[in-house]
Amino acid sequence: MMNSTRCAACKYLRRRCSPDCIFSPYFPPNNPQRFLEVHRIYGASNVAKMLEKAPVNQRAEAANSIHYEAHCRIKDPVYGCAGIITLLNQQINDAQCELAKIQAEIAALNGHHADILPPYQQITDASSFANYPVEGDGAFPATHDPSFPQFYLNS
Amino acid sequence: MTLKGGTSQACAACKYQRRRCTADCPLAPYFPADQPKMFQNAHKLFGVSNILKVLRQLDPSQKLVAMKSIIYQANIRDKYPVHGCLGIIQQLWYQIQLAEEELQAIHAQLAFYRQHQQQEVSTGLSDSISQLQLGMATPSNALSLFHQDAPQNYDNTVSALPIGSHPTYSSNSANAANYNATYMDSKENNAVNSLWVQQPPYNNSSSNINSNPMVMQSQLINSQPLIIQQDCGTQDYDEMHPFFDTIDDRQSYIASKEAYESSSESSLKDTTQSVEHVAENELKSAAACFSLTSVN
Repeated sequence: MMNSTRCAACKYLRRRCSPDCIFSPYFPPNNPQRFLEVHRIYGASNVAKMLEKAPVNQRAEAANSIHYEAHCRIKDPVYGCAGIITLLNQQINDAQCELAKIQAEIAALNGHHADILPPYQQITDASSFANYPVEGDGAFPATHDPSFPQFYLNS
Repeated sequence: MTLKGGTSQACAACKYQRRRCTADCPLAPYFPADQPKMFQNAHKLFGVSNILKVLRQLDPSQKLVAMKSIIYQANIRDKYPVHGCLGIIQQLWYQIQLAEEELQAIHAQLAFYRQHQQQEVSTGLSDSISQLQLGMATPSNALSLFHQDAPQNYDNTVSALPIGSHPTYSSNSANAANYNATYMDSKENNAVNSLWVQQPPYNNSSSNINSNPMVMQSQLINSQPLIIQQDCGTQDYDEMHPFFDTIDDRQSYIASKEAYESSSESSLKDTTQSVEHVAENELKSAAACFSLTSVN
């Protein structure tokens, strides 16, 4: 039985949108651009396979991540979202460098003011940065994983 | 499948597709035969035709980097089938937020310490001047700095201090439910954002999210540099060594200052004793002169 409104994927592919269409929950007809970008980079069949492989309760997240990566690749065909990862890693490194410098300076000043203020208690340390939990897939690699490619820096 | 009459092996792409690998195979430079998994991941995510489509629109100089990013993205997607690279980006963004909060707190504390240090220096100078004028030390004034009402001053100081000129994350600018695009345009007159990623992509897992995710273009490299110093690395040691030297100097200064302050009372006694000693000597010499002159 045909839906009264086809999803964006079936509209684009000009086919019948079945009630159990894998695309319809994640590619609504009011946002055709979303499917367009995904189809342009990955192709409809690849996207369908990825969505079918994901657990049902995580398909929305999978669709979002697929679309995000496709959008990044369209906007930046050379680096895509990998360039963003490189930049973020660089920002974290820079922030940690500055933190280390300032903490050294505070440690020096701390000795003068031992009875005024307690020593600065670090909120986090570098090792705790890698422990942000993510549902479903498990732990992500640590920030300073040497295997992280440095795309922008090496180009 | 080997080339006819040749000894070179077919690339992983042609091996997978079971076709002849020609000399001008576009994928051969990027998918060596000994890494079939790499091509399988890329093929599973993109497909051969889509990879070739991406390569076709690039300059030859950019193809290698583009293929590396494609392979990286495919490997990440193979490892994390649901979240892929987006999950890593979200995690990194979260870490940046933590680091930024910590930086703000530490800047405030550093400013407080510096202010107190300046007060100490100025108080120490004024004390030394008064000592020179009066010729004796007043221990109560020298120790007064260490008995200030710190908590109240700290609160007032912190509230009055500017956080610093480092970039801050503005979480109020975005609607959490609907995610708006914020291209990090270098033309934007927004010194706060600079290079910091402003919003996390896809905060909610709702399928009705406004699909305009944030993208950081390569123009970011040309944008205004971060206030955070970029000179981390080997230069840090050169910069920190003089710093530690000053720490040593300060320690010696404080040690001498504390020694002076703790023995201020005893120095008073020493001063008076020396004054008395001089007076006594004068008397003795005067007496000696008198005695000498009085002898006939």
